[in-house]
Amino acid sequence: MPDTLGYTFVITGAPWTTQAPQSALSVARAVLAAGHRIDRVFLYGEGVHLASSLASPPSDEHNWPHLWSAFLTEHEISAVACIASALRRGIVDPKEQARYELESSNLRSPFEIAGLGEWVEGNLKSDRVLYFHGAN
Amino acid sequence: MTDTTLHITNKAPDHPRFRYCLSAFKEGDALILMEDAVLALTDQEQALPSTSYALSADAQARAVANRAPRQQLIDYNDFVQLTATYSRIINW
Amino acid sequence: MSTLIIIDQSPYGSWAGREALDMTFSLAAFDQPAALLFVGPGVHWLCQGQNADNLGQKSVEKNLSAASMFGVEDILADAGSCARYNLAIEHLISGTTLVESIRDTIAGYNQVVFAG
Repeated sequence: MPDTLGYTFVITGAPWTTQAPQSALSVARAVLAAGHRIDRVFLYGEGVHLASSLASPPSDEHNWPHLWSAFLTEHEISAVACIASALRRGIVDPKEQARYELESSNLRSPFEIAGLGEWVEGNLKSDRVLYFHGAN
Repeated sequence: MTDTTLHITNKAPDHPRFRYCLSAFKEGDALILMEDAVLALTDQEQALPSTSYALSADAQARAVANRAPRQQLIDYNDFVQLTATYSRIINW
Repeated sequence: MSTLIIIDQSPYGSWAGREALDMTFSLAAFDQPAALLFVGPGVHWLCQGQNADNLGQKSVEKNLSAASMFGVEDILADAGSCARYNLAIEHLISGTTLVESIRDTIAGYNQVVFAG
């Protein structure tokens, strides 16, 4: 086993519906603290809500999309919201906004929108793939 | 596939997937309970494998930590260590 | 690298199963060995004669029937769950294989994945 492992995180639980984004962030910090690498964070299903730039919780609550994007930016980790999951749920980048002639876009940086191929790649290239689902 | 497996579940003990998880458990495997699954620590109807661990933060939040065997409680660093040790992981 | 995708929720009431199916097709599209296992209420994905027109949803039976064409290696159903819901093999879409043990089945795959 190599000393440094690469992890892919798949988050399928939405913030404010599940604990998944919080658990994933705590584990992600511990992965880096242990000297391992996070190859990619992939948002799937309800998990794409974590990429919304419009989430506005009360000021005395944690803003999970903001905390996640700050973490990803600081550590230069690739983060992808699945395009099929995202478009269905109204998470849109400027390119898709133009394509579907929508009023606005709301994808939070540094998240990008891409297909399930990115998840397949994670399966093949990362040493570990961890899933963070809702508990329902 | 003879590798041992790290099972990770966040489902409460009454959730069907918690049952599938335990039924898939084999000799040499380990189990991490996180989120709602930590309720299994004090579940009187559910025996756990001896190599079971529970995330301390989740157990404390739900006030089951003080009623659980201390050696079973782990932090996020221990969690990562376990995921590094086991190459096959199933997230139930 | 073989992957088993498990669907344990009934069709139509939740979107998670459809997203599990998308994952399966996506693996197959990249030539990665993939199989599906239906357990619990999830075995209803495999029923013949589904008609979801009045729900405004597409029938998942059609999607699943295309699975082998897309390169999905196996469609497995937990025999105990089928018995519970009174489903015999002739009620299920063709190509379904009944498995007696979830434990033995998942032991045969490198990866075991739920979509949500």
